[in-house]
Amino acid sequence: MSIVDRLLAIDRRWIFLFVLLAVTIPILLPLGLPVVTTGSTRAAFEYIESLKPGDIVWLSFDYGPSSAPENDPMAEGFLRHCFKKDLRVVVCALYPLGGLSLANSSVAIVAKEFPNKKYGTDYVNLGYKDGAEAVMRRLGENIADAFPTDVHGTPISQLPIFEPETVPVERRAIDRVQVKAPGSEVRMGIRTIGQFKVVFTAATGLIGEYWITLVNAQFGTPIIIGPTAVSAPKYYAFINSGQLKGMLGGMKGAAEYEQLLGRKYPELSKFYMETRLFTGTKGMDAQAGIHAVIVLFIFLGNVAFFLSRRRERKG
Amino acid sequence: MTELHFDTGRVLLLICFGLVPVAGIILGLMAPSLRRQIPLIVGFVAGIVPILSLYIPKRFLSAAGEGMSPRLDQYLIIVAGFALPLGIVNVIQINSRRVGRGEKGWPFALALLVGLLLMGGFGVYGAVSGQGIGFLPSGAPTPFQWMTDWFFRPLQATIFSLLAFFMASAAFRAFRARNTEATILLIAAVLVMAGRVPLLDFLAYPFPPLHPLAASLSQTMGRLTEWIMDVPNSAAQAGIIIGAALGAAAMAIRVILGIERSYLGLGKGD
Amino acid sequence: MAALFTLAVLSFLYKDNPIFRLAESLFAGVSLGYFVGITLDQTLKPNLFEPLRTNFNLHWDLVIAGLLGAFLYMRYVPKIGWIARYGLTTYVAYYIGVEFTRKVHGEVLPQMARTILPVRGFDFSGFEAFFNSPGMLALCAIVGTYSVLIYFFFSREHNVVTRPIARLGVWFLMVSFGAAFGFTVMGRVALLIGRLNFLIYDWLYPIFGL
Repeated sequence: MSIVDRLLAIDRRWIFLFVLLAVTIPILLPLGLPVVTTGSTRAAFEYIESLKPGDIVWLSFDYGPSSAPENDPMAEGFLRHCFKKDLRVVVCALYPLGGLSLANSSVAIVAKEFPNKKYGTDYVNLGYKDGAEAVMRRLGENIADAFPTDVHGTPISQLPIFEPETVPVERRAIDRVQVKAPGSEVRMGIRTIGQFKVVFTAATGLIGEYWITLVNAQFGTPIIIGPTAVSAPKYYAFINSGQLKGMLGGMKGAAEYEQLLGRKYPELSKFYMETRLFTGTKGMDAQAGIHAVIVLFIFLGNVAFFLSRRRERKG
Repeated sequence: MTELHFDTGRVLLLICFGLVPVAGIILGLMAPSLRRQIPLIVGFVAGIVPILSLYIPKRFLSAAGEGMSPRLDQYLIIVAGFALPLGIVNVIQINSRRVGRGEKGWPFALALLVGLLLMGGFGVYGAVSGQGIGFLPSGAPTPFQWMTDWFFRPLQATIFSLLAFFMASAAFRAFRARNTEATILLIAAVLVMAGRVPLLDFLAYPFPPLHPLAASLSQTMGRLTEWIMDVPNSAAQAGIIIGAALGAAAMAIRVILGIERSYLGLGKGD
Repeated sequence: MAALFTLAVLSFLYKDNPIFRLAESLFAGVSLGYFVGITLDQTLKPNLFEPLRTNFNLHWDLVIAGLLGAFLYMRYVPKIGWIARYGLTTYVAYYIGVEFTRKVHGEVLPQMARTILPVRGFDFSGFEAFFNSPGMLALCAIVGTYSVLIYFFFSREHNVVTRPIARLGVWFLMVSFGAAFGFTVMGRVALLIGRLNFLIYDWLYPIFGL
């Protein structure tokens, strides 16, 4: 048996072992490799930076534990950014297989880091709801139709975050119900998704797409998506068509967002250096390691393939 | 207390989705052929209402809170809620039979049932008792959240993490430059894999003199990867999105008009 | 416990074994139980039972939704399984109706719109500048999108004109699929990184007091 045949017939468990080592070693011995930021992540970050304190944003947990290492750091990074900017955040989960539990955990983790943020006033968790598209259609007209209560069963009419407040007219240009001269003031509550400055959807699968092609298309709310790397290539088309404000593609996108947060807010940089929580940045060394191994495998596989084909031709 | 709301939208919904199905069921018990026809009429209404509501701004159809379309949205949140655990009855039937008869692999069926009953039981308890299924006001987890954190999440995450190993193995065995198309695929894949992560920095790490070169090449690779994703990939994805959306829209029309009925277990001839 | 489950599942890599299958079965059961909990507590209770209980006069018509949902379960009653069709047809037809507008309005139109743009503004000052100039970007968007569409829609009868365009479409698709493979590697590996990170930092380190 030649070396080529041996290579082609290698037991896959050897490959498994290489994969395990390529991931484990960089986790045990972190190298702190640089993370280069990309345009789509910077666009997302800049958009949130452009919002004013008190603006209201929506964060949807549209993923489950199967993609948590990618999506958790994004959702938590976004939440930290919002709290730093004093934005008000409404959280929900539309992914059936685990979205709710991840929303509960991530909100609890980040809220603990910002003890001055008050539940009900600065942020709320509306919990999970079945029937994603039907829910989004309702959000366009009346949030309470889809989410009559928050995750704890408190009616949303009792949550101060949705209560009427006096706002200058230019801040509610998207509300189609009342039209008043700019400069005057109205008292209005948060009723529809159209009043939100942005929806951030940390997503696996189709639900993230619904936010773009239903909520953005029909109600005009700007969308930022944090998809898993597997579905990220598709969303470049939505960025180019102007339907997305920005994107954090997979764990890399999360790591980029953490870099941008760290550069803008030194205390968050310190936090990301010291935390024991899993972050996107921590995963990037291992990503580089495993990519090197897989590229090597592809190279070896092709060398063996060409050598065996040449031998066949000669034979 | 307000009076019973009998606006036109709700009454029409009552007729289409309450009275017609009930009448259909009674008639269906007498005439089996109606078991197929009447559901298709109900389906037609359910499919056409959300579309028409975008075009016809009439109170009975699209007024917030009372029009047919907004109310139907609310119904469908509930129906989706019923649909989600639909398969459970089947799973319980099959697995309890396996355990009862002591069929091969019955301990696994038992483990499944125990997991289901425990988790489902905690969920029912959380809903009925009013304590919910997340965290308590004290910050302590409910039994449901506890089960989620220590059983559900690690199991799901680990089962999906196995894919990394199989993908590496598949990349080694199947990713071959057999022809032009496969070669383009392979080059794009390798470029993206190298450009999206600090791969060159990683390879150069043991050799400090190479660090500046690796960093500069890494930047170039990163820009190239972004261009691939932003330009050719994005254009191809737009083509896929348009093609698939037109196909889905055509299928939607077939379903709403009752031409496609296989989802009801009905063939064309039925 | 989470670490033991993680190891039990990873043991499958060596070979299929009863411990893995036990963990897998438990996972299937727990997942289904999870559906029961979230649906009951987060959807049916706040959106159906509570509105009916607290303000029946306003929400009486939600009974219809409950009825349609209950019909779905009739499939398990052998002789009257056909009643489930009323629930199923409402469910499927409604979502497909919503899907119809979503696809056309949110996908086809905006994606077509981005391919209807002037091809001008080429920058010949350098290699990178050329490929990033507005004209080149517009050209790639138009050629890529339409060649892929031509490949899809003329997949049976290619002629002298469509054959080379469809071939170009396939090349665009291959670039996209290759890129998608690269991204998929990242995504799948991310899950493994997450698990190993958990095993090392949340389980092994505390065991050794680190």
